[in-house]
Amino acid sequence: MSSSSSGRQPGASSGPSFDPYVNLPELVPLRTAAVSGDWTAVQAYFASLDSADKVTFVVGLVAETDGVENMLERAVAERPADPLPRTLLADRYVRIGWGIRGDARAKHVSSGQFDQFHDWLRRAERILIEVCAEQPSYAPAWTVRLITARGLSLGQAEARRRYERLSAHHPHHYAAQQQLLQQLCPKWGGSWDDAHGFARESAAAAPDGSHAGALVALAHLERWLDLDGSEAGAYMRGLPVRDDLRHAAQVSVLHPDYRPGWHGIGTHSAFAMAFSLGGHFEDAARHFAALGDRAAEFPWSYLSDPRGAFVKYRKSALATL
Amino acid sequence: MTTELHGADALDALNGLIAHTTTQGIPTLYAPRQGEITAGLFFRVGRADETLATSGITHLVEHLALHRLGLSDLHYNGATANTYTLFHVTGSEEEVVAYLNSVCAALRDLPLDRLETEKEILRTEAAGRGGADSQMPLWRYGAQGYGLAGYNELGTWSLTADQVRHWAETRFTRDNAVLWLTSDTVPAGLDLTLPAGTRIPAPTASGALPVMPAYIHGDDGHVYFNAVVRRSTAASVFADVLGRALFQDLRQEGGYSYSAEADYSPRDAEYATLTGYADALPKKQSAVVGGFVDTLARLRAGRIEQSELDSVRAKTLKMYDTPDLGAASLPSYALSLLLGHRILSPEQHRAELAAVTVADLREVAREAWASGLLQVPGRGADWAGFTLAPQYSASAVTGTRHQSLEDERITLVIGAEGVSLATPDGPVTVRYDACAAMTARPDGARSLTGLDGFAVTVEPTLFRGVTPERIVALDAAVPPAAVVRMPARDPEQIPQPRKRTSAPQRSGGGRSTWAWSLALCVAGTMAAVWGLLGAVAVADEMGAAEPEWDALIGIVLLELPLLFATWKLYKARKRRRG
Repeated sequence: MSSSSSGRQPGASSGPSFDPYVNLPELVPLRTAAVSGDWTAVQAYFASLDSADKVTFVVGLVAETDGVENMLERAVAERPADPLPRTLLADRYVRIGWGIRGDARAKHVSSGQFDQFHDWLRRAERILIEVCAEQPSYAPAWTVRLITARGLSLGQAEARRRYERLSAHHPHHYAAQQQLLQQLCPKWGGSWDDAHGFARESAAAAPDGSHAGALVALAHLERWLDLDGSEAGAYMRGLPVRDDLRHAAQVSVLHPDYRPGWHGIGTHSAFAMAFSLGGHFEDAARHFAALGDRAAEFPWSYLSDPRGAFVKYRKSALATL
Repeated sequence: MTTELHGADALDALNGLIAHTTTQGIPTLYAPRQGEITAGLFFRVGRADETLATSGITHLVEHLALHRLGLSDLHYNGATANTYTLFHVTGSEEEVVAYLNSVCAALRDLPLDRLETEKEILRTEAAGRGGADSQMPLWRYGAQGYGLAGYNELGTWSLTADQVRHWAETRFTRDNAVLWLTSDTVPAGLDLTLPAGTRIPAPTASGALPVMPAYIHGDDGHVYFNAVVRRSTAASVFADVLGRALFQDLRQEGGYSYSAEADYSPRDAEYATLTGYADALPKKQSAVVGGFVDTLARLRAGRIEQSELDSVRAKTLKMYDTPDLGAASLPSYALSLLLGHRILSPEQHRAELAAVTVADLREVAREAWASGLLQVPGRGADWAGFTLAPQYSASAVTGTRHQSLEDERITLVIGAEGVSLATPDGPVTVRYDACAAMTARPDGARSLTGLDGFAVTVEPTLFRGVTPERIVALDAAVPPAAVVRMPARDPEQIPQPRKRTSAPQRSGGGRSTWAWSLALCVAGTMAAVWGLLGAVAVADEMGAAEPEWDALIGIVLLELPLLFATWKLYKARKRRRG
């Protein structure tokens, strides 16, 4: 969820903005349209986007807008064949369901919460089955289906199948890759071999300067999150992890061909955080420089005080320059 | 000699291809073919006409009718399906005449001295059946009509000579038959005298699924889908399109399955059963279910390439390239005549094929979805819009209450209207007025199966206070026609409550083992029965001139997983009991 109260200007000394609408002002008209229930304006905004990456990125933002389901249900009723309002509505249902479930590990979630969570996900899934059947190349729908597959515990093979169906049309769709990476972690039934393997393979398969290298950093952050205190720090300080991160950064976000687009804040955040946790501040510096006063909520939200950590790490990193 | 031919007008569409007449009152279709003659005599009676208690009676008549031919070298056989029984033969004219005359003579006067032997043979035969999808008919239809295909032939225990004779006299009649021959004339010398009767329409289908599309849990490694659709040229084309779509999506694109196929088979005059299947490796199972769901969805959305439709059409048209087209299509025309389905000439069928559009296929896909039943391994298919088929009865009866001696949370109720097993998750009830069959053992054990397919087993040794008086009351309440008397069991086969190894721990949360006990009982019984049948089959084959060793090996191989399952369940139950 974005913190709408932030509103700090880049350059302010008190810390970064985690608000995507502040960090990417070109998104503001979309938020205005979504909040006011102006479907025509929402639709026009989507029509102006020139890549599937961007469409998927903002589908996720619209779906996080409280109350937006009212507008979307009306839009679906008016345009039953249009994949966009259906996918947005399905994604909104997923967020509503996940809001009920909460972010706790499964053992801390009550059975009543799980029932409601699964109900919302099933509603979403049924919409998306139809959208993907009609429009098999529609990336945002497949991306949300990776989330429903995870929440409904459909299994590793099914999640991979969904990703394969998507990647047949969009081979390096970063938003979907992030979702599959979650599924492949042990917390969702995968293994570290699967998670690291997928991150490395995706990075290797992508052209130089694409986002996929950041998956390598995210996989290490997932592993760090899973380890206990001292082990976690030792893991990130280890030279194999550092070298892995360096290589991944070189071929992706630090490559001359890299175009950050809307994902750039998230990808640089992943590297900045991963290098910092390992104490590799000279490596983190270029990523903090690229970020300026902007940060992505994910993965910084893995830390108890994202803003404080960002400021502290950035200071250490910039001191190495 | 001739009586009016059923559907004779419709057969005029086949003029020049297939000739028709009647033979001693039996509608007869014939068309020439080079070489030996093949003939088939259809009767409109099959498993779906039986009840659970008489299940197997048609099969028994078929076996008895063929018994006198036992030692001839002739290439012949009989088959009992859901809606028909077929006697067929290939040979010289004299051989065909001799076979058909012998079958009809036997039907007029069944060798009922053979009854007990044939019943035993059928019980042995039955043990070899039952694929991974054998549960689907009973979930869709219950323990009646078309659902009986999923059950053992219970009648092979208890049917009497009078019952079997009556069945032959009323169902195997000249008015309920159709004959076909690959010959340009009806051979002289046929004596197919059969009693007069009526053409009996195929039974109306029962329904045991309150909500469709529905799903059930099944074995690992297999995904099955079936649906009931109106018979049409478009529907049969759709089955081919579905088979190709599953193959393309699950095997060629994903490599999730090795086999992926579909089938269309007429159920009765109006409806056909559409089936889809895909296998799965254990690690790919969830992807096969997901891919299957998506393939059905894409066909429902009408995303079918015109080239797919064209390929299927071309393949279907190829069947008309066969020489002796009339002779080759005799069985299917004879079956249509028998079931009262419309007779389509090749020209009419070609025209219908040419007219099928992608939109027609989409309509069939939607019809199939609306009546669909999916059998999946793993976590189920609720997420994809399927509703779990009912696992418990809607209500329980009241009556005397008998607590389980193995699990105090399970209670058997024997009432005036039926029996219920009350479990923590819901009741299982069989009402006497809707009881398809009750098996009865001399030791007092009773197993009741309702028309809806739910079953309750009353083992007097496993429940508190099931006195002989209660069993007498039960026997008096169940309609006599539903009772199937079974032979006595070995004393070791009579179940005993399992002693708890330690005192029950009330405070420990009371983990239940009743489901494990039930599963253990089922698996153990299957293992024991299979083993016994295996032994019988081995003994039987050893005495045969040419033992079918591969079949015997199959029986033994199948016994192993049953024993293994029994052992695993025993261990699992033990573990849960602590």
